[in-house]
Order: sequence, then C-alpha cells, then structure tokens
Amino acid sequence: MNQVYIKQNVEESHQNMKKASPVLEVKDLNIYYGDHHAVKHINMPIEEKSITALIGPSGCGKSTFLRTINRMNDLIHGARSEGEILYGGINLLTSKVDVVQLRKEIGMVFQRPNPFPKSIYENLVLSLKFSGIRDKKKLKDIAEDCLRKAALWDEVKDRLDKSALSLSGGQQQRLCIARALALKPKVLLLDEPSSALDPVSSSKIEELLLKLKEEYTIVIVTHNMQQAARIADKTAFFYQGELVEYGDTSQMFSHPAEKRTEDYISGRFG
Amino acid sequence: MENKSVVVQMPSSPNNEGRSLIQNNKKWTSIFNRNSEWRGKIWIYGSAIFVILSVIAITLFLTVQGLRSFVVDHINVIDFITGTEWYPDRAENPSYGALPFIFGSLMVTILAAMLAAPFAIGSALFMTELAPKWGQKVLQPVIEILVGIPSVVYGFIGLSVIVPFMRDHVGGSGFSLLSGALVVGVMILPTITSISADAVRAVSNDLRSASYALGATKWQTIYRVVLPAAKSTLITAIVLGMARAFGEALAVQMVIGNARNLPNAISDPSATLTTIITLSMGHSTAGSVLNDVLWSLGLILLIISYGFILLIRFISRRGQVS
Ligand SMILES: Nc1ncnc2c1ncn2[C@@H]1O[C@H](COP(=O)(O)OP(=O)(O)OP(=O)(O)O)[C@@H](O)[C@H]1O
Ligand SMILES: [Mg+2]
Repeated sequence: MNQVYIKQNVEESHQNMKKASPVLEVKDLNIYYGDHHAVKHINMPIEEKSITALIGPSGCGKSTFLRTINRMNDLIHGARSEGEILYGGINLLTSKVDVVQLRKEIGMVFQRPNPFPKSIYENLVLSLKFSGIRDKKKLKDIAEDCLRKAALWDEVKDRLDKSALSLSGGQQQRLCIARALALKPKVLLLDEPSSALDPVSSSKIEELLLKLKEEYTIVIVTHNMQQAARIADKTAFFYQGELVEYGDTSQMFSHPAEKRTEDYISGRFG
Repeated sequence: MENKSVVVQMPSSPNNEGRSLIQNNKKWTSIFNRNSEWRGKIWIYGSAIFVILSVIAITLFLTVQGLRSFVVDHINVIDFITGTEWYPDRAENPSYGALPFIFGSLMVTILAAMLAAPFAIGSALFMTELAPKWGQKVLQPVIEILVGIPSVVYGFIGLSVIVPFMRDHVGGSGFSLLSGALVVGVMILPTITSISADAVRAVSNDLRSASYALGATKWQTIYRVVLPAAKSTLITAIVLGMARAFGEALAVQMVIGNARNLPNAISDPSATLTTIITLSMGHSTAGSVLNDVLWSLGLILLIISYGFILLIRFISRRGQVS
C-alpha cells in the first residue's frame, strides 16, 4: 500500500472516498509553464486495475498531465501545478510528498524507448539498486519475473549480459516496461509507448498492457484512436488543456456526448 | 568561352530548362570564377595535404635525427632506455641513461592526471548538472582564462607558492616531482574540465528522465547513469590532459628541481624528457653526441605522444560500439 512516502504526518486525510475507490482522484488540477496555462481545471478519477486512455490533439496537455501525476514535471524549469491529485487520500502535489518514493509507486514509460546503455540485466535491476537491494538472488528473480511479465523473457533470456541497445526498438520499449515493473508500482504511466514502433511491436505492447491491467493501474497517452478503442476501459478526451469528455471507452467511441469529441474521434481534426 | 562556366541556377526561359542541369564548371580554368567549386576544393584539399605533409616531415626528421645516437654514435638502445646514469658531457666514460627522465615524465603525467581528474570532473558536473546557469556564467569563463594563461606564469606561481609550501610542509628543497605534478595538474585542469563538461552535456536527457522515473535521486542519477554513459569521453578527456602534461616543459622545469638521477620519493627533485631537452639544448652543438642524444630523447617523447593518441582513438572507438 501507499504507506511510506509522506515525510511527515499529513493533516486529516480526506475520508470521503467513494466505494468504487479510484486509485487516483484528480481535483481541479491546473498546470502552468510560466504564464502559459497548459492544463485547465481537470477533474477525473483513475480507476484501479483498468486502462485509462488520454487522447486529444497535439499540444492539448496530455503529456503534461501525465508527468504531473508522478511529479516528473517538477524537473521542468518553470512548471507548476495547482489543485489536487489524491492517491489514497493524500495529495501528491504538496511539497511534503517524497517524490523519489512516489515515482517508485507510480512508474513511467516514455515515448522514445530509453534503455540505459548498459546490459539488459543492469537495466532491470538498476532501480532496485537505487532502493538499496543488493541480494544477487533476489535481483535475478525480480529481473526474470519482470521480463516474463513484459513478454520479453524468451527473446532475451540467453543474452541478459548483452547491451540493451542491441535490442530492436520494440524490444527496447518492452524492456523499458519491464524495467518500470521491477519496483512493483501500483500505477504505470505510459506516454505514447508505441508511437515510435512498427505495427507488430505495437500490437505486442497492447497485448502486454491488457495482461498487465490485471495487476496494475494503467494510464496511457495515445494518438491512435484504434488503440484506445481496443485496450482502454476509460477514455479521457483533452482539448486545449481542458478535459472535454471522460467516460467508458465503448460509450465514448459509439456515442460521444460532445461534438468536439466526435469530430476528433472520427478524424475531422487533430 | 570561360564565361560560360557559370553555375546556371535560374533558367532564363522555359526551353532553356534542361541546360541548367549540365555541369559546366568541371574545367580547371573555372578557378578564375568566383563561384567555382574548384577554388574551394583546392583550398580544402591543399590544407589537408599540407597538414599531413608537415606531420610526416616532423616525424621523419625526428626519427632520422633521433636514431643518429644509435647508428652513428653506437650507443646501445637498451642501455639508453634502461640506464639510470646521465653524464653525456663527462670527458671520459660518458654515460647516456635516459630512464630517470622517462620515469619523471610518466610520473609527472600520471600524478597530474590523478590530481586534476577528480576536480575537473567534479567541476564539469557542477557546471552541467547542478548549477547550469551559474556554471555557464562563472565557471566557464574561469576555465577559459585558465586555458589562456601562459605556462611561464604557472611555473612562476609554482616557484613562488608551491615550492616554498612544499619545503615547509613536506621537507627537502621543495623542488620535486610532486611540485611539478601539482603545477601541471592545474594546467591540465581546464582541458579535462571542458571536455568532460561537453561529455556530460552530450548524455541524452532521455536517460536522466528514465532514471528519475525509476525513483533515483539526483546523485544516483549522476553516479549510476550520467557518468557511466559519458565514460568513454571522460577517459578521453583525461588522456588528452595527460598528453598535454606529458609535453609541458617550461613550467615543470621551474619547479621540478632538474636532478638527473632517479627520485626515491615523489618529494625528491627529478627531471623529465622535456625539461632535460630544454635545459641541455643551449650548450650542445649540432652533430655532437650530446646533441644526438637529445634528439633521441625527443624521439622517445614523440613515440609516447603517439601512444597517447592511439589510446584515445582506441577508447573512443570502443565507446561507440557499446
Ligand atoms: N517543457 C515545456 N516548457 C514549456 N511549455 C511546455 C513544455 N512542455 C509542454 N509545454 C506546453 O504545454 C502544452 C501542452 O503540451 P504537452 O506536451 O503536454 O502536449 P501533448 O498533449 O502531450 O502533445 P503531443 O500529443 O504532441 O505530445 C503545449 O502548449 C506546450 O507548448
Ligand atoms: Mg505528448
């Protein structure tokens, strides 16, 4: 559970959590880059063990929103956020949150595969070493487990000591997913994880995500409508920094409530 | 006919169109034309050939001169390299053992690199990872100034600060291998720092993001991700610094003590290949044995410098593969 990552005791936790208990509850979230208001008044839940897709035209703030969830946006100079992202009743956006610990619970996969220029094995266990785990046996077991979960084990089991850069783009991306699983996160954030990949690698990643959602909560940004329709349980449509529509994917794709959603989904703009 | 050789860029009329595709400036006479490709080619190829020829000429000249002591004066090569007695100007039974200088050069180089590298890489990390703005504004100019200071100034400062300091705190005369290494270490600091800073800057931000997203702290990111990714260029930076330290003469000569025997400790006075050459050069006449052995020392210097270059090539080639 989410115990440790608050440095001090937080004030009264927010008890009014609903029964369906979303893992994350976004409340009136605003994100700015300097004066630029990039994300405006977002309210939405993110449900446990499901896939939530974020869609919308380029520049509408999907990545910005995603990076704010695990506070990766802190690294961008001039970025700041207001509002709340509640995680088990705790607001992740306060300065009391230990971001290092937070990122271990909310993992992230990026658009471009970014394995470290080290061996495949080192890529998988580096985060564990960051956390002070030294036991060789344990590291090996976790590495194998993650590779199996990422459906990569059979392809790389004989060359774990080879450079991760020797893998294909699709394999590298699955390695990055495996790497993110090593710390057993609750939530996995993926920013267009398959946009740089060929169709076959891309569908492998989709299969993988469908399998992973049994254990993890997944939030994925995608530009591919079919992909969202295929894998997402919930879809959120962003437009110019606003959340236009949020709901069940099937519902949204068949009967969008908003004209703008319909136009975007049917490819009329974006 | 010469003025036909213009590179035609805009067809004047539709039925002229195809002609503009015909290259007209292949003839050498087009060198007189401003826009000619030839001018550029001659200049670029000419410079390349000139540089290559000068390197070959220097190498050949030094080789021929450097081999004289072995071929003409019949000094044994092995004795020359391994001998520890250097009395080339003794009237009877002169001896030509260059080992103390080879040793001195290598020791100064290695010690200087050991002293300078940690500071250099530390400041490179400071100006790239920790305080990019401040580092860019303050540290960068400081480093450029350090590069620009002439070596005689370094030597002079070494002579008036480091030597007395060593005398008081380490003992002896203060003129020593260690003083030489300290002075040269400061001299190569900017070289290593600026190349290291470039190396660290060249590490993709994607890797940093990957690291932070895995719950790494800043220090863990630097130590486990950034430095390893920059490793081969960092080593190249150090080797380049060493190459510079190895060739430095003047500043070292002012503080090293110029003793001709092998030092027993790093606090002993010593000499290097470069210092012994600059010191003895003045009182040797061309063609004399002393003059020949100095050339031989120069040849050794050149060979070891080539060694450094090969090392750099090797390291950067390996860095590209992995
Ligand atoms: N590092 C940054 N500094 C300043 N402004 C930024 C930065 N990153 C994004 N923005 C701005 O914030 C807005 C949202 O950008 P964001 O990258 O979140 O869009 P996106 O929906 O992910 O787009 P895409 O689909 O192209 O990835 C844009 O107007 C963009 O210009
Ligand atoms: Mg984006």
